[in-house]
Amino acid sequence: MALLRLNNIWKRFGATNALSGAGITLEAAEVHALVGANGAGKSTLARIISGYMQPDVGEIEVDGRMVRHTNSREAIRNGIAIVTQETSLAPDLSVFENIMLPRLGLPGWLNWREMRLEAAALLMQMGQESGLTLDTLVGNLSIGQRQMVEMLRALALKGRIILFDEPTAALSPRESARLFEVMRNLATTGHGLIFVTHRLEEVFTISNRITVLREGKVMAGGVPTHSLTQNDLIRLMVGRELSDIYARSHTHGARAGEGRGARNAAPSADVVLSVRHLRSPPQVRDVSFDVRSGEILGLAGLIGAGRTETVETIFGLRSAKSGEILFNGARLAVNSPRNAIRGGIGFIPEDRRRQGIVPDFSAKENLLLSHLGARRGAFLGYRERHESITRLLDVLSLPTERILDTNVMNFSGGMQQKVILARWLVLEPRLLLLDEPTRGVDIGTRSNIYGLLRRIAADGVACVVVSSDFEEVIGLADRIVVLSDGKNVTNIPSNIMDVEKLAMFAAPRSSADQTHRVLEFLAATYGGLAFWASLDGDRIFCFDRAGVDVEADPGFEGGDFPQVANTRISTALCARAEGFVAEPDGDRHTMLMPILGPSGHVFGFVGLCLRVKPDGLDPAEVRRHVDAAMNGQAPAVTL
Amino acid sequence: MSSRGSEAPEGPNLRSASLARYAQMLVSHIELRMLVLIVLVVVGLSLLSPHFLTVNNILNMMDQGVVVGIVALGQTLVILIGGIDLSVGSLAGVTGIVLGLSLFHLGVPASIAICLLVGAGFGFVNGAIIVWGRIAPFVVTLGMMSVGRSLAYVFSGANSINNIPESLAALSGDSPIGLPTNFLCLIAAYAVCWWFLTYCKGGRTLYAIGSNKDAARVSGLNIPFWSIFAYVISGVMSGAAATFLASRLLSIDPIGGTGLELDSIAGVVIGGASLFGGRGSIVGTLAGVFIMVFIRNALNLLDVSPYWQGTAIGSIIVAAVLVERMLSSRSRR
Repeated sequence: MALLRLNNIWKRFGATNALSGAGITLEAAEVHALVGANGAGKSTLARIISGYMQPDVGEIEVDGRMVRHTNSREAIRNGIAIVTQETSLAPDLSVFENIMLPRLGLPGWLNWREMRLEAAALLMQMGQESGLTLDTLVGNLSIGQRQMVEMLRALALKGRIILFDEPTAALSPRESARLFEVMRNLATTGHGLIFVTHRLEEVFTISNRITVLREGKVMAGGVPTHSLTQNDLIRLMVGRELSDIYARSHTHGARAGEGRGARNAAPSADVVLSVRHLRSPPQVRDVSFDVRSGEILGLAGLIGAGRTETVETIFGLRSAKSGEILFNGARLAVNSPRNAIRGGIGFIPEDRRRQGIVPDFSAKENLLLSHLGARRGAFLGYRERHESITRLLDVLSLPTERILDTNVMNFSGGMQQKVILARWLVLEPRLLLLDEPTRGVDIGTRSNIYGLLRRIAADGVACVVVSSDFEEVIGLADRIVVLSDGKNVTNIPSNIMDVEKLAMFAAPRSSADQTHRVLEFLAATYGGLAFWASLDGDRIFCFDRAGVDVEADPGFEGGDFPQVANTRISTALCARAEGFVAEPDGDRHTMLMPILGPSGHVFGFVGLCLRVKPDGLDPAEVRRHVDAAMNGQAPAVTL
Repeated sequence: MSSRGSEAPEGPNLRSASLARYAQMLVSHIELRMLVLIVLVVVGLSLLSPHFLTVNNILNMMDQGVVVGIVALGQTLVILIGGIDLSVGSLAGVTGIVLGLSLFHLGVPASIAICLLVGAGFGFVNGAIIVWGRIAPFVVTLGMMSVGRSLAYVFSGANSINNIPESLAALSGDSPIGLPTNFLCLIAAYAVCWWFLTYCKGGRTLYAIGSNKDAARVSGLNIPFWSIFAYVISGVMSGAAATFLASRLLSIDPIGGTGLELDSIAGVVIGGASLFGGRGSIVGTLAGVFIMVFIRNALNLLDVSPYWQGTAIGSIIVAAVLVERMLSSRSRR
C-alpha cells in the first residue's frame, strides 16, 4: 500500500491552470524526486500535499485512507512534514523553540524538559551536536544551518512523509552532500521522502523514482531513476532539447578567454557599467565587474549571496556604503530609482507581484508606469509613446486587444513578465538589470524571453541577469560573475563553465571556510601555497588559495581558470600522480589530493605547491591530515 | 456591440450573456455602479416620502452635502494612497477659528486664503511625519486630531466668533443660475480633482502608490512628494470646509467640524474606495457623500428618531464595504 497517493489534482490561479490532473504516488522507504521546469506546478503540488493549499478537484490518500487537508495542521496530524525552500523560521526564537514550534499548535500541555531531551537526541541523530546548539538564536545562523533547523523541525513532527521543497537552493555542494546522507538514512528507516528540485544532477544522486511535471500535467509518474538518462529527463521536463530553449550563438563568450578571474582587463570604450568594490552591508561586501554594450552578464550565486542586493544598489534602491559605479564612463550618483531610470537604467525586480505589477492598473498603464516615473512635467504623455507601444507589442507577441484589459492579475506569469519587460523597453535603456526574469514563467514563454533578451542585447543594450538557476545562467549569459557571501569570487566566460563548477565557486563562506582553513593549515605546516581547484579538460579552475609564500605561486589564484599549459605547475597537473611531482625546471613540487564526499563524489582536489624539494615528507601523512580536516575535525595546528 | 445585438436572434442564451456583460460593466466601472446606486436610492426615497423630491428639499440637500463633500475630496486622495486622515474635523475647527480671527483684521478673500494656507500647513505636517518619520497614518492623524481641536480652543479662548461679513455669507446663498454657490464650488472642485486624477501624472501616481508602492518605487515615481501632497490637499479641504461652515452658520465655534472625519471616510468608502488604497474614484465619493445626505434627509422627513440615524448610516457603511469586497474579490485574482 502506498504511503501517499495524490490523484487527478486540479488547481487554478486566475486564468491559468497550475495543475491539470497531476498526481504522485509515494511508497515507504524511498526518495521520490518531483521535478519540472520553473512554473511546471511542482511547488503548487508540494503545497497541496502539505496542506498549505487546497486543490480545486482531486483525491489525496494517506495509507490508503482518503484525507482532505484544509490546513497544514491537519497534514501534520496525518504525518506529513515539509522542509521549504525559503526557510520559514522565526529568527527571534532559539533553535530549540524553532524545532518544537509545531508543538504549540497541539492541544494540551507541553513538557519542556522532555522536549529538550528530544531535540538534543535529534541533533545527535543528525550529527549536528557539534555544529548547532539548542539555545542559539536562529537569526544568528548561516543559511545552511537554518536549513538544518528546518529539517530537524520536520523530523520532530515524527511524520512518515517528509517533503523537501528545493532544500539545496542555498546550500554548498558539501552541505548538500551531507543533506543527502541524512535523506538516505531517513529512507532506510522507512520514511517516504518527496524531493522537489530542478537540479537534475541531484535527482540522479539521491532519488529512487522520479515524477516529472510539465505545465501542470504528469509527464512521467514514478519512473525508476536508473531507467532514465539526463537527456530523457530534460526532454520530459521541457518537451524539447535544452539547447533549443537558450537558442544560443556565442558572440561575446569567446572573447574573454585570458583566464584571469576577478580582475578585469582595462575597461574598453564600450563598457556601459563598471562596478568597483561596491559595498552595501550586510549583503553586498565587495563586488566588482564590468558589463559591455551588447553583452549579457550573468550574476550567479546561492540564495543569500547578495545578488539581488547588488543590482538593487546599482539601481538606487539601496544606498552604497563605499565603492564606485561608473555608468557610460561617468561616476553614477544614484540615490533614487528615478535618477537611475532617467540615466537609462531599467530594473526588472525578482518578485513580480510585490514589486512589478500594479494590480489596479490596466495592462497599458502598467506598461507605461516607468514612462510616468521618467517623465518630467505634470501630464501623462501617454500618447507620445503610442507608436513605440504598438511596435513593442508586436515584438513581444502580446495580443493588442488585451492591452486595455484591466485585470493584469489574471494574466499568466509569462504575460505579466512581458508587460514588465515592455515597461522598460519603452524607455530604450542602455542597461537592463533583470532579477530572476523567468521565475514562475512557463517554459514556452521562457524560451521566448531568452530570445527577446538576446535581441535586446544585440541592439546594444547591456544586460545583467541575476539567476539562481545555474543552467539558465550558463545557457543565457555570455559571461558569469559568481557571488558568494557578498563578494565576487570569479568572472568567467559561460562557454567554459558547467553547473558543477559553478556550484563550487558559489559555495558560501560558511562551507568554504572549512576548506580554506585546511589550505591555511597546509601552507603553514609545510610552507608554500595550498589551493583548492578542479581540472576540466585543459583548464584548471581554482576555487581558493592560501599561503604567504608568493615565490611558490603556481600561476593562478582563487577565481582564476587558466589553461593548464599556462600555469607554472603544468607537469604536475598533467601527471595527476600520487605524491609530489617536480616541474622540469625543478623549482616547484606539487602534490594533488582529491576530496571525496560521503558518497564518493569528487569535490575537486586540494593541491600543495612547494618551492623546495620535500625531502623526508611523507605524502601519505599529508593526505591523512587533509582527510581528517576535511571530515570536520579541526586541524591540529592553526595560524 | 449594438450591431451584434440587433442582428442575432433573441435567444435566452444571448440575453443572459448580455446580462452578464452588463453585470461585468457594473463590476468594472465604479462610476457606473455609483450612478445606478444613487438613482435607486433617489427613486426609493421619493416613493417613501412625497416631500423628498421637492425643489426646496433638493436645494436643502445640496447645501447639506457641501461641507462633508469638500472634506471627502481630500480624504479620497489620502485613502487612494492607502492612508487615512482622522484630523480633518479638528483641522476644520482650528482653520475656522483662524478664519474668524483673520476677519477681524483683513478682508474676506485674504482671510480665506490664510485659512486655506493654515490648513495646508497642518496637512504638510501630517504628511511629512507619515512619509519621512515612517509612522502609520492612523497614529499621526489621530494625534493631529487632538492637537487641532485643542488649538481651536486655545486660539478662540473657547468663545465662538460671530462677526461673519455679508460677502462670506453669500457663499451659501443662491448663485445667478439658481443653484447654491457653495454647491457649485463643490462641483467645480470635484471636476478639477477628477481631471487631476485622470489626466495628470500626480493623479495616476496616487493610484499607483496605493495599489503597489514597491512597484511604483521601482518605476521611479516620486512617492514622498505625492504622498505628502495628498495630506496637504486634505488639509486645504479642511480649511475650505471651515469656510463653507462659517458662511452657512454665520458663526464660528471651536467645536465646528466635529465628526467630519468619520462622515468623510464613510462617504469615500460608500463611494467604492478600498481602505487599502489603489481603488476608488472621485465621482464615487461624491455619490457616496450624497447617498448619506439623502438618507439622513429622508429619515428626517419620515420623522425617524435622530437616535436611529446613526444605526442606519453605520449599517449602510458596512453593507457598502461588504458589497465592494464581493465585487473586488471577483475581479481581482
